[in-house]
Amino acid sequence: MNLEKVIFSFFMILALTLNFGFFYGDVHNPDHHNIYELYAVIVINLIATILKFGDRSQLGAMLLATSLVANVQLISAAIVWAVASHMQAAGVTEATMATIVSLSGGAVLANIISVILLVLESSYLRH
Amino acid sequence: MSPVTSIILRQMRAPLIVIVTVFSIAILGMVLIPGIDDQGQVWRMDFFHALYFVSFTATTIGFGEIPYPLTDAQRLWALITIFFSVFGWFYAISKIVSLIQTPLFKKAVIHSNFKRSLGQINKKFYLICGYGETGQDLVDRLVKKSVNCVVIDNNHRAIEELEVQDYIFYVPGLEANATTPSQLLYAGLSHELCKGVIAVTNSDVSNLKIAITAKLLYPEKPVICRSEHTDFEENMRSFNTDHTVNPYDTFAHGFAMAMKSSALHLLNEWLTGVPDTSLSKPISFRQGHWILCGYGRLGQRIYSILRQFNHSVTIIDTITELKEEFYQNNPGVDSEFIIGTGTDAATLKQAGIENAVGIVAGSDNDSNNLSAIMTAQILNEDLLVVARQNEMMNKALFQASLADIIMHPSEIVARRIRTLLTNPLLIDFLEECYHQDNEWINITISRLSGSINEVIPHCWTNTLNQKESPAIHEALVMGRKIALKYILKNPVQRQEMICCMPLMMLRNGKRYLLPDEELILQPNDQILFCGISQAEHYISQCMHDIHTLNYVMSLKNSPDSLFGRYLLGSTKRKRRNND
Repeated sequence: MNLEKVIFSFFMILALTLNFGFFYGDVHNPDHHNIYELYAVIVINLIATILKFGDRSQLGAMLLATSLVANVQLISAAIVWAVASHMQAAGVTEATMATIVSLSGGAVLANIISVILLVLESSYLRH
Repeated sequence: MSPVTSIILRQMRAPLIVIVTVFSIAILGMVLIPGIDDQGQVWRMDFFHALYFVSFTATTIGFGEIPYPLTDAQRLWALITIFFSVFGWFYAISKIVSLIQTPLFKKAVIHSNFKRSLGQINKKFYLICGYGETGQDLVDRLVKKSVNCVVIDNNHRAIEELEVQDYIFYVPGLEANATTPSQLLYAGLSHELCKGVIAVTNSDVSNLKIAITAKLLYPEKPVICRSEHTDFEENMRSFNTDHTVNPYDTFAHGFAMAMKSSALHLLNEWLTGVPDTSLSKPISFRQGHWILCGYGRLGQRIYSILRQFNHSVTIIDTITELKEEFYQNNPGVDSEFIIGTGTDAATLKQAGIENAVGIVAGSDNDSNNLSAIMTAQILNEDLLVVARQNEMMNKALFQASLADIIMHPSEIVARRIRTLLTNPLLIDFLEECYHQDNEWINITISRLSGSINEVIPHCWTNTLNQKESPAIHEALVMGRKIALKYILKNPVQRQEMICCMPLMMLRNGKRYLLPDEELILQPNDQILFCGISQAEHYISQCMHDIHTLNYVMSLKNSPDSLFGRYLLGSTKRKRRNND
């Protein structure tokens, strides 16, 4: 067992699960989507991205790309949330919530690809 | 991904994770700990404000307690935040700074810069191995002729020297061992625009290794090598090295030319010298006694030339073995061999300095050479002095010593290679001159001095092909007869001739010396010219522009544009209708 691999996989899978947790629920219902969860997803995703830095293999490049995509999606979701709640008189409306959740939905997809690649890599290693 | 970014990213993993973790904990704390707003109500910082607060605190900007003054609980958390986040931030910065300073990183940066500049080269270039005196001189001259170069040298200081040189365009330099095949390939040998390899390191062994590598991997690419030992030279020639340049042989050849005729020597000096510098003065050799200080590689060659022209010679050298070898190789010779340095008056007097006509100071020690010259000149003022200069830094000393001929091996090699690369026809021309009689040479030199402005002239070759001279080539292919004299006319004022002289023409492999002005040109002729610096520019105008060519040939210009041709056609038609 390789501790580095454990940490690496841990962060990647945690990013996916948290992301899914935030995404899951009624798309425009603010009660179904916890802001702390979004915060945690962003932090974990950032760490997962940093862990992928400097890997020069083809797979490493793919993993880094998917993580960067997830980050872009999640940070835009956070920015939308911040803009809606602080700079708009109406606050976080149902429509805004739907935007935020759908953005995080895209991140879920990217994270799923990440995990699939991870599983593929480990299954190749076994042979 | 370039190795540089890869190294940075890999090294920055730990500091970045520290920063992200510290920030996230600090922000979360700020969000969770309740505060009080200006109305005394319980107020929680949201993520947006918490991120703002932690960001300016961590980077020590410190805007203060925004938007409301903090409660004591919040202040306690802010305190913890400050210590940890500022620490994390500084840790990351110090990591970057220390990373930049590591030799490995510097090396990666230099290599990636080199690779980038090599990728940006879009013209043919020469790979120059060794940036010593010869290399510097060569690169300097090639760049002035707008020929691209790439330099490889294993000496760190040589590459630094290259970086600070003020060339008109960038010359990439790589600090690597050129004798290692992989490094040579990396330096651009495998590049499709690499036109040839020039090995001018100070060691024959290295030059040989470079030549072998280049010839084995890319047999079609020309290789020019410097070699100072005959056995290495033969070795290099054995596997088709295109040119080997031996400074002693080259100098000896020039010396033999000078012995044969001083005009021939002058011709050689003028045509191969550095353009726009002052002309060297003619040297006259008197028949008589010569003193040869130093019987090494140079001395031995000069000795045989002096004997060939029936001069009597006395040799002075410090090495006894050379004396024995000399008498063994030349049995029954009347030349005297004195053991000594030749720097003291006693030895020189013993060698017959008072009655001598010339002295050659040819040892590999500059101080000894200078000392010998100075002592000899005191003893006999009318001496012809030939001095060998080994180090570039002593140039001023040798010039001050009033030596008539200065032999500087690096300079000789650089000059020879430069001519080989930029003007191979000139070497053929000088070779032909060597076989001409004295009268011909004297006439040539007087004609030459008429067409140059008291400075060393420029020499260049024009090839009448599609690529280099499209206008003339097209006219010739269409069947127009163009005499050589037309392209020697000033394209601004056709009554005047340009200060320039055609030296040789090469047609179908045959050489024509000093072609006549009435000669009719043919496509693919190669013509060697020599003249003032503007002359090359004037001639190239004629070669490139059909209107200029028509002007110097006093022909009418036909309009080039569609409208112009239509206009001309319609007037012609009208005239025809009227008739």
